[in-house]
Amino acid sequence: MNKILLIIQREFLTRVRKRTFIIGTILFPLLYLGLIFGTGYIADKTREDLNIALIDGSGLFNEDLIKSVNGNDTLNTIHLVAAGTEKFNENFDSLGYDGYLLIPENFKWQSGVDSLSVNTKKSFGMGALKPIEKKLNLLWSKIKHDSLGIDAAKEAVLNKTISLKLNNEKNKNADAGIATVVGYVSGFLMYFILLLYGSQVMMGVTEEKTSRIAEVVVSSVKPFQLMIGKIIGIGMVALTQFLIWIACIFIIYNIGKTTGHQGGGASGMVGQIQSVFTSLNIPVVVGCFIFYLLAGFFFYSSLYAAIGSAINEDMREAQSLSFPITMLIIFSIALMTPAIANPGSSLAVWASIIPFSSPIVMMARIPFGVPNTVPWWQLGLSMALLIAGFMFTTWFAARIYRTGILMYGKKPSWKEMIKWAFRK
Amino acid sequence: MNILEVHNLKKYFATQKAVDDISMNIEQGSIFGLLGPNGAGKTTLIRMITGIFYPDSGNILLKGKKFDAENDAKYIGYMPEERGLYKKMKIGEQALYLARLKGLSKNDAMLKIKYWFKRLEMESWWNKKVEDLSKGMGQKLQFVITVLHEPDLIILDEPFSGLDPINANLIKDEIYRLAQNGTTIIFSTHRMEQVEEICNKIVLVNKGQKILDGTVEDVKQNFKENLFSIQLEAIPDNINSHAFEIINTKKEELVVKINEGFKPNDVLGYFINRSTGIVSFEEILPSLNDIFIKLVEGTPTARQFEKATS
Repeated sequence: MNKILLIIQREFLTRVRKRTFIIGTILFPLLYLGLIFGTGYIADKTREDLNIALIDGSGLFNEDLIKSVNGNDTLNTIHLVAAGTEKFNENFDSLGYDGYLLIPENFKWQSGVDSLSVNTKKSFGMGALKPIEKKLNLLWSKIKHDSLGIDAAKEAVLNKTISLKLNNEKNKNADAGIATVVGYVSGFLMYFILLLYGSQVMMGVTEEKTSRIAEVVVSSVKPFQLMIGKIIGIGMVALTQFLIWIACIFIIYNIGKTTGHQGGGASGMVGQIQSVFTSLNIPVVVGCFIFYLLAGFFFYSSLYAAIGSAINEDMREAQSLSFPITMLIIFSIALMTPAIANPGSSLAVWASIIPFSSPIVMMARIPFGVPNTVPWWQLGLSMALLIAGFMFTTWFAARIYRTGILMYGKKPSWKEMIKWAFRK
Repeated sequence: MNILEVHNLKKYFATQKAVDDISMNIEQGSIFGLLGPNGAGKTTLIRMITGIFYPDSGNILLKGKKFDAENDAKYIGYMPEERGLYKKMKIGEQALYLARLKGLSKNDAMLKIKYWFKRLEMESWWNKKVEDLSKGMGQKLQFVITVLHEPDLIILDEPFSGLDPINANLIKDEIYRLAQNGTTIIFSTHRMEQVEEICNKIVLVNKGQKILDGTVEDVKQNFKENLFSIQLEAIPDNINSHAFEIINTKKEELVVKINEGFKPNDVLGYFINRSTGIVSFEEILPSLNDIFIKLVEGTPTARQFEKATS
């Protein structure tokens, strides 16, 4: 036991003292936020804006009408063009139009037509036509209103709608929007931690094997002690990093609160954090995160350790052998999206109970509320199964590890590794 | 007293009988040579003695008690042939860590590291990393780490490979000194001249089996071929005797093989009778190298893969 502690201590200290740990701890949240806002920004930048010419054969459309709808969305515009169709369809692009729309003569204000084509010379994304479609229908409804004699006041009455909001009787503070965001953030964070630290375990084991220190160490301790010490040590590093982030959030929150709301980004952030705090049961969310972080980490990293013990130096071997494990994690993240969209569905429930996907999917569901969305029995069953799961993977991995760590030469197949595991 | 007794040890792998029924005893304070060609099963045997592998069958007794890998680790120091250290870890910390894994307390370990580092002039290495060391320096460090916790049994697998003669002598002297203080040393190698120089007793292993066991002297006596070297003032013509045959002739030296039923005196008598001046007369004992080659020759250089049936 004492020896395991020594190994844990070494694994932990050598990693935490490295510059990469400090940089990673600071940079990761920045990169993470950058990823979220960056993709939003890029999506916004790369949106296709269309400038469409409208050739009116029906005589129902006029310049003023079109001007009134263009005011709403100045990026996608429609222009009335009177040019003869023959010549126009060849050089509309040189006139600055992305395409043109021909309203046929049989277009009546009562019936319209079922569909029209926008003629272009290039292809656009699926959603590109939506704003133009919306504008065209707005134009048509204005034409209909005019023909029916509905004035602006009547129109306002007609356009009134009702919006629905969710009110959770049991939990007045519940906010599905915040739960969704926190669910996504926790799920992805879990995903990154499992992958990053899992592969750290794998590389650490391989390093010990290829530098032949393993043989020196296993003459003093059992292979199992060496493996479990490494896993726990690296798990503690992951936990430390997570706790630093949580502490930072609290510090930012408290500083923001005491310096008062002086406007700007800081107070906005504080306001957001505050709304997260009031709508979520923070101790349950953080507590569960720590549990799933550690248990999920033990589950996957012991498998990664087994792979690390089987390979020799060549990183391609590592990739091909760890592929099935990495796929399990990626599959979990794929299950997370439908689980967040509908956290009470049977898919979400089962994915959050079965050990391999439970760390990610359960963490995505928990922000929606315990015990309302996630009943206690589900949480308990999921935790119990995950503990049983990691005990099995650790046992299984230890048996591969003790053979693999001293085995040099050819890369074993999964079949051979399983054979090692079940040998006496 | 035997510090280590090995009884009928067996370890079969899927494709070969790595160790096939080996028994041996090692006396306390002796320097013991474990010899054998590549792939003979030496490393597997050592790994069982160091508790890295469990034997399939057989017993290992350490200090007269059944060997218990976990608690007996502190009595054994093992330097594997493939040296291994953490490349990125500082040398002082690394030595401390490995010593504590052997069961030393932090203070004890610290004192011993300081003693050894001073002794082998390694004090300036403390804050360096292993990757900064040359191969020979790495060897020296590995040796210190092996003997640091003052084990009763030290197992060295090819300890001199990669060392220059000065450092090799330094390590050799340390080995002698440790043996004088009662430490037992097992020396695994296929460098015979070193064995002849250092070891008291040897065991030769081939294809997983023990084929020779005894003191270096006895082994040589057992394998002698009645060869003698005679140096003469001048080699006479027409040497013809029932007592011996000439194997080799150099300038003024004859190598003769004495025939069965005759004695060295018969050879000397022959030359005395012919009034040839004798300068020296000496028995030629086979070198361990010759014995090794003779015993191992004929078996394939690399072991073939065969199905082991246990």
